[in-house]
Amino acid sequence: MKTLVKGGRLVDPVAGIDANLDVLVENGFVGRIGEHIEPDGARVVDARGCIVAPGFIDMHVHLREPGQTHKETIATGTAAAVAGGFTAVACMPNTEPALDSAAIVSEVMRRADAAGLARVYPVGAITRGRAGTELAPYHLLAQAGCVAFSDDGSTPRDARVLRNAARYASDLGCAFISHCEDPDLKGDAVMNEGAASMRLGLAGSPGLAEDVVVARDLLIAADCEKVWHIAHVTTATSLDLIRWARTRGVRVSCEVTPHHLVFLDDRFDDYRAESKVNPPLRGAHDRDALRAAVLDGTVDALATDHAPHGLDEKAQLLSAAPVGFGGLEIAIGAYAFALPQLAPARFVELLSVNPARILGVPGGTLGVGSPGDVSVFADRPWTVDARLFHSKGKNTPFDGLTLPRRAVATVVDGAVVFEHGRVLPRQEAVA
Amino acid sequence: MRTVPPRSLLDVDDLRPGELVGVLDRAVAFRDALPARDLLAGIPVLNLFFEASTRTATSFTLAEQRVGADVITFAPGASSLGKGETIADTALTLHGIGVRVIVVRHYESGFARRLADAFEGHVVNAGDGTHAHPTQALLDLMTLRQEFGRFDGLHVAIVGDILHSRVARSNIVGMRALGIEVTLVGPPTLLPPDFGAGELRIERDLDAVLPHVDAVMMLRIQGERIASGLLPALDDYTQRYQLNRSRLRALRDAAVILHPGPYNRGVELTDDVLDDPRSRYVAQVHNGVFVRMAVLDLLVNGAPVVAV
Repeated sequence: MKTLVKGGRLVDPVAGIDANLDVLVENGFVGRIGEHIEPDGARVVDARGCIVAPGFIDMHVHLREPGQTHKETIATGTAAAVAGGFTAVACMPNTEPALDSAAIVSEVMRRADAAGLARVYPVGAITRGRAGTELAPYHLLAQAGCVAFSDDGSTPRDARVLRNAARYASDLGCAFISHCEDPDLKGDAVMNEGAASMRLGLAGSPGLAEDVVVARDLLIAADCEKVWHIAHVTTATSLDLIRWARTRGVRVSCEVTPHHLVFLDDRFDDYRAESKVNPPLRGAHDRDALRAAVLDGTVDALATDHAPHGLDEKAQLLSAAPVGFGGLEIAIGAYAFALPQLAPARFVELLSVNPARILGVPGGTLGVGSPGDVSVFADRPWTVDARLFHSKGKNTPFDGLTLPRRAVATVVDGAVVFEHGRVLPRQEAVA
Repeated sequence: MRTVPPRSLLDVDDLRPGELVGVLDRAVAFRDALPARDLLAGIPVLNLFFEASTRTATSFTLAEQRVGADVITFAPGASSLGKGETIADTALTLHGIGVRVIVVRHYESGFARRLADAFEGHVVNAGDGTHAHPTQALLDLMTLRQEFGRFDGLHVAIVGDILHSRVARSNIVGMRALGIEVTLVGPPTLLPPDFGAGELRIERDLDAVLPHVDAVMMLRIQGERIASGLLPALDDYTQRYQLNRSRLRALRDAAVILHPGPYNRGVELTDDVLDDPRSRYVAQVHNGVFVRMAVLDLLVNGAPVVAV
């Protein structure tokens, strides 16, 4: 099977390429790169006017399967991924049951394979049941396919547990990923603490709730010499802490989300839960610091924290509604919206090169012999209509917004799984 | 620009300043002479109180009866309302039954807004969480005007647990709209430094404020603030913020003392305060009925807008 991505501008910072070049994928791997490659029977993807990049990897998504398939399934979540321009996702372990055993992880990978869309890299739990007390079997999980560990959604409250976990797993290359929110400082907050929460009479969570956990986890990372990744950073202070840790030799990476780059904590005047998310949307000072940190290199990766829920669930009262919303299908448009000055090479680093490096997975380049995972996108404005999402989660604060960039075609393992607005599972794509 | 009265009263700023003054004028007229009991004749009004209330529920019920409404009172308790049923379904059901006005109190901030967005009728917010309590603010404003005959240039101190007070929030909104100078007084845990985004005056020293105000509004301090670690032992709070005999001496003779009730004797104030001739607690609750009559009349029937 051959696929030829033809006529686009190839941006591959690892190979040092930014030029109009065709990419020929043969048997799942990049076979040739060159000017004007003849199709010779290959399936042709028309990339004229587009940027062609090594496959984008969203290193922070919630696929909800097993256990919450009314919100999302592996099939619908990976359909959303390829439609959004992603060839791979790392899925978080807060499923029911949690991804804390090799058997569950193997089953997730089997279902991802059956869906035949994006690659799925499971993130295993740090503690059993994400309960924060007993350690998960890291080596067995890694053998089953886990590429990192996290108790995402919460954080081990007990620093001793987290330190022991990091020590025990320190011989594994898999990073620990921290969702940083102190549960006591956060309390029953539904939004950021600030002038808006006080005016609205809503319980707010201060940036401090994030900062103290970032600081703690960076110190544990240093103590255990463990590779670490801070998920969805939202505050200027957390960014400063990460910079400081790097000066001390801590191997730490971090990500930011599209919603924290775009929105502020001014979206709750109607007391609806559409924008309720953890960590919460912050004020302008923090939002601007996040944007600057993406540009200055502090931030390694852009990740959506795709967290789909049913519309009925999100329509509940603010206190009862679940946190989060889908992000895969607006992501690249939102990043370009927030950071129009971001150069294409840096864009590809943040979405492909660095996520592949942090997770230790193949990809991040389209050099000959690399995986045949290709993201084709273009600067073509479009207006978000959440009803049209492939994800089951039809709720997003981006609904109705016009975004400047969109996915045009997605190639996974040499198969065109998204083109012309349609998702095509690999089996169909081959046939 | 809106030319008809607001459909619902969720907070004081649903009323333009002219409408606000109009409501107070109407309330005064009702207090001077009760109207015929037909202003809301045949209009079904539902009192929907998810949170216990004595004064506000009684005051609303009497107000509704005095304007001739068909009054339905319902404490949801274990019903499906606000639980499994969505707000939209609840609103649809109540409208289908024939309810045209809902007076609602709920323990969650924003409930009245969510209900009003879904209900094809009038919603009067009788208190939502720590957000707003507009009819309380209106009756406070009515009491102040009764006392001073004006709003502009008045200086009011609001003292205590500002962060958790829907009464304080609604009063701040109303007082600022009418040109009243507001000073907030309380400890940083109950009045964070960034409350009001720098647009409100915040003081920590009650004694420095008392001699300079026309009115002081003492908010209720709930015991759970100590249990949840927001306040130390009560005597540390009372030593700094309690209105008592010695602090009454610092208050001007012409000043008045307001309290939204229910008060905790010995906590935010002492018995001396309630016995003090400057205390207006009884006037406040008395005015409440007429203000609520005027609000119902405005929302359902409209009213002449007084130019400001």
